Amino acid sequence: MGAQYNLTTNDKNVLLALDEFSSSATPQELAKESLLKIETAMQSAYLLAEVGLARVDEELIETYLLTAEGIECAKDGLPERQIIDAISEPTSIDDLKQRLSPNMVGIATGWLRRKGWANIDKGMIVPTGNSDMGNDEIVLELFKEHAQTIDELGADKKIVTDLIKRKLVSKHEKKHRLISITDAGKAFIAEGIVIEDEITQITSELLKSGEWKNKNFRPYNINTKPKPVYGAKTHPYQRLIDQMRQIFLEMGFTEIKGDIVQSSFWNFDALFQPQDHPAREMQDTFHLSSTSELPSEYTDNVRAMHEHGGDTDSTGWGGKWSEEIAGKNVLRTHTTAVTIKYLADNPQAPVKAFCIDRAYRRETIDPTHTPEFEQLEGVVMDENMSFANLLGCLAEFYHRMGFEDVRFRPGYFPYTEPSVEPEVYVEGMGWVELGGAGVFRKEVTEPLGIKHPVLAWGLGVSRVAMLKLGLRDLRELYQSDIDWLRKSEVCEL
Amino acid sequence: MPIITLQYDDMENLTRADRDTIIDRVPMIGADIERVEKESIDIEFFPDRPDLYSVEGVARAMRGFLDIEKGLCEYEVTPSDIKITLDKDIEDIRPVLGCAIVRGVRFDTNSIKSLMDLQEDLHWGLGRDRKKVSIGVHDMANIKAPFRYLAADPDFEFIPLDFTEPMSMRDILEKHPKGVGFAHLVEGFDKYPLILDANDNVLSFPPIINGNLTRVEESTTDLFIDVTGLADAVYTSLNIVVTSLAERGGKVESVKIMMPDGSTKITPDLTPRVHKVTRQEVVSLLGIDLSMDEIVTQLEKMRFGIRKIDGEILEVEIASYRADILNIDDIIEDIAIGYGYENIVPDFPKSSTVGKAHEISIARTAMREIMVGLGYSEVMPFTLTSERVHFEWMCRDSTDDVTPVLHPISEDQTMLRTTILPNLMEILSMNQHRELPQRIFEVGEVVVNINNRRHLAAVSIHPQANFTEVRELVDAMMRERMVDYEVVESQDTAFMEGRRADILVDGEKVGVMGEFYPEVVTNFGLGQPVVGFEIDIKV
Repeated sequence: MGAQYNLTTNDKNVLLALDEFSSSATPQELAKESLLKIETAMQSAYLLAEVGLARVDEELIETYLLTAEGIECAKDGLPERQIIDAISEPTSIDDLKQRLSPNMVGIATGWLRRKGWANIDKGMIVPTGNSDMGNDEIVLELFKEHAQTIDELGADKKIVTDLIKRKLVSKHEKKHRLISITDAGKAFIAEGIVIEDEITQITSELLKSGEWKNKNFRPYNINTKPKPVYGAKTHPYQRLIDQMRQIFLEMGFTEIKGDIVQSSFWNFDALFQPQDHPAREMQDTFHLSSTSELPSEYTDNVRAMHEHGGDTDSTGWGGKWSEEIAGKNVLRTHTTAVTIKYLADNPQAPVKAFCIDRAYRRETIDPTHTPEFEQLEGVVMDENMSFANLLGCLAEFYHRMGFEDVRFRPGYFPYTEPSVEPEVYVEGMGWVELGGAGVFRKEVTEPLGIKHPVLAWGLGVSRVAMLKLGLRDLRELYQSDIDWLRKSEVCEL
Repeated sequence: MPIITLQYDDMENLTRADRDTIIDRVPMIGADIERVEKESIDIEFFPDRPDLYSVEGVARAMRGFLDIEKGLCEYEVTPSDIKITLDKDIEDIRPVLGCAIVRGVRFDTNSIKSLMDLQEDLHWGLGRDRKKVSIGVHDMANIKAPFRYLAADPDFEFIPLDFTEPMSMRDILEKHPKGVGFAHLVEGFDKYPLILDANDNVLSFPPIINGNLTRVEESTTDLFIDVTGLADAVYTSLNIVVTSLAERGGKVESVKIMMPDGSTKITPDLTPRVHKVTRQEVVSLLGIDLSMDEIVTQLEKMRFGIRKIDGEILEVEIASYRADILNIDDIIEDIAIGYGYENIVPDFPKSSTVGKAHEISIARTAMREIMVGLGYSEVMPFTLTSERVHFEWMCRDSTDDVTPVLHPISEDQTMLRTTILPNLMEILSMNQHRELPQRIFEVGEVVVNINNRRHLAAVSIHPQANFTEVRELVDAMMRERMVDYEVVESQDTAFMEGRRADILVDGEKVGVMGEFYPEVVTNFGLGQPVVGFEIDIKV
């Protein structure tokens, strides 16, 4: 019996202490009686109240406290008392103002008359001889700087109100808790309570000595809500990037990296981008003042391809191809600058490679555009690769990214043919265009000595981050709110 | 990319199909639907298909795609006796000219707007904003052949379009809105291009503005078209414009261009180009086993002509308005589009390869594990920054190994960073309202002398942050990396004297650590001590 309540030693002590009070106890009284700290005693009191062995009643109590001025008056007497004590015969107010402070004299004259201690006649204060101690003075005495209730003061509320009006006393409200034992509590005690020692913290002494075997352990309230703690973690965007890297690695792709600064040759010309193409202009691309030397083994071939199609059936772009333009450095506008160089350097089939890195475009920052962003790119180069194989890569890749429904529409990219725009179905959004793909044009592969078809696809990783992390503003990825990082869940992706 | 507005009525009439079918199928020919309105639809076509920049061009393609018509669209060109002389002087300025006459045109609000829009979109798409190609369309009623294309003195005067008083060509470049907008295209020449009629009336001042005399109105029936420029795209543009007008029933007539060397050239030339296509090439690029019949069907659907079938070899006729066919792959793509991308079965390649992560990624992953274990959260700031943040706020002198960008987009992003710590300080600065302590790191790329380097950096901010904390952090990090190091007193002015140290490996400085100099802390608007380190991780 009684075990149903699962009480700790503290709880039991508090219950026994409560039984000592005839009606109810304040927290202070309860703490004193149970020999516990106020917080500890109240924690038990609330627990006892929860199981119906005790009651905690809360009421708002009005208390009164002397103001700074009130404290002075309690010490030196009210202004009218000080004046009546200072004179024994009719005295001029002006004289008094010279002797005492004019302000005090001003306050005192009104009260002297009202209390009937003196009359005012032609600028003279004339004592009546009757100046017994008033109730207000008795109350002031009682305060002694401590907060008091009306009951404790044993005073008429009107007197206190007058003192408040005189700004000698201020009124406060305080939450007051009263704890009392219930009938169930009394019945529980009647059944008999055994108090045993309880262990809060296991210590090494207890373990070594084996003494723990004879002890009771204080149970915790397992329902208490914990304070949240947040661990350090990798960036959610990095987790997404790593997931994509993992997909490529599982599919047998080699990861490649390259410099942020690239020559226009690798960024544009090697990809058969005409030299007068608008994307190459200052308003879309970050240009640098530095230049790079052109790779001599490819320069003539690329020139021939641009000018007239080289040895292929292509028409080329016509016009003159300029080495000077090709040598100008830019911040890579796509990771393709890195992949195409890798393919040129590694022409031995099969090649399956991928790159996830930053690309730079001269865009004004807004919620959906940032001048730098991550791009993902995959390429497959092998004998007999076909457009159907490209769609196979795309379907596999997007499925592994968690997009079940994928469809393909014709697209246009300057360096691929055929080109395709993959779309994925996103609940609540419908079909969303996600990236682009195609088979590299012969105009791209031939001058670099790449003998087999190259399948390529790419997409903006930040677009996927927006979809998967539910972001509204891309800037959040790069200028992160630490609170967001703390609260982002590791398993969200 | 150009967005074309198609009025449903007009589009249905020209295509001979209902709007729902068109809206449903048009994306599959290569286009993005931008907006569907009550009376019209806005569609974005790709930059390689300028022949689709008009409702007439779209209707022509869709009639094929929807199996309403098939094969090459043939347009009759009647020779006319109208001539235009090309002066020798113009050859160094804007040498390429193509002209045509279209008679019997009946304009209404839709068709006149369609023509104007097409002209503008071609200026953009093929013309590189009028530099390579510019088009003038003229009402023939008030002009008299023969015409002349010449280089004229800048003081020559005429009334430009939308004006009532004559202006000199020089003034037009300074005062007419079009003149101001395109003056750079004739900059540096002492004479300007001009097209005159037999009575020296001005047709146009290419590539700037037409004369007001030949303004096209709804009442116009006969048109003279001039296209001038720098490349062969001039002829393609001319073909696109005249075939569009022919789609509405206009009768096309050719113009004879008298060249300075005495030769003549007749335009427009709507003769299709011919390209050989073999079945083997088609099957190998697409990976679909198409028969010759199927290939022919798809080509005709995409409005190619078939001149000859010889076993597995085809001679394909390419319409004169197609600007995108550079080689056989462009024809094969159209076969795939005709066949329907949705009908191609994806086939994952069988190539056997093994995957391999890059050593940089492997190293970065290890750094992340170390730093997260030490209680630091990762951030991924921008690599573009400014001199102000990178040097001034850090109380560091500028260095000459930075990569500045030539035309920054804002004063916050003028250069690539050479160090990471300023970025981390900025992130702390943005997070002042968040609970302390804050401990963040980045393992990322910096660019030194235009080459990428990999750095690891971390900062910690809280009321008790001090040198001991960062000293212990660096020690733990270096221990995990199994790298022996030494420290020496540093001169880095971002940190406090006596509370800063350079990190040396094999006697070479690889990084720095310390308590940030109070001015650095306050420059970033921070109000608590900050410590940090940065090292080159040498991968």
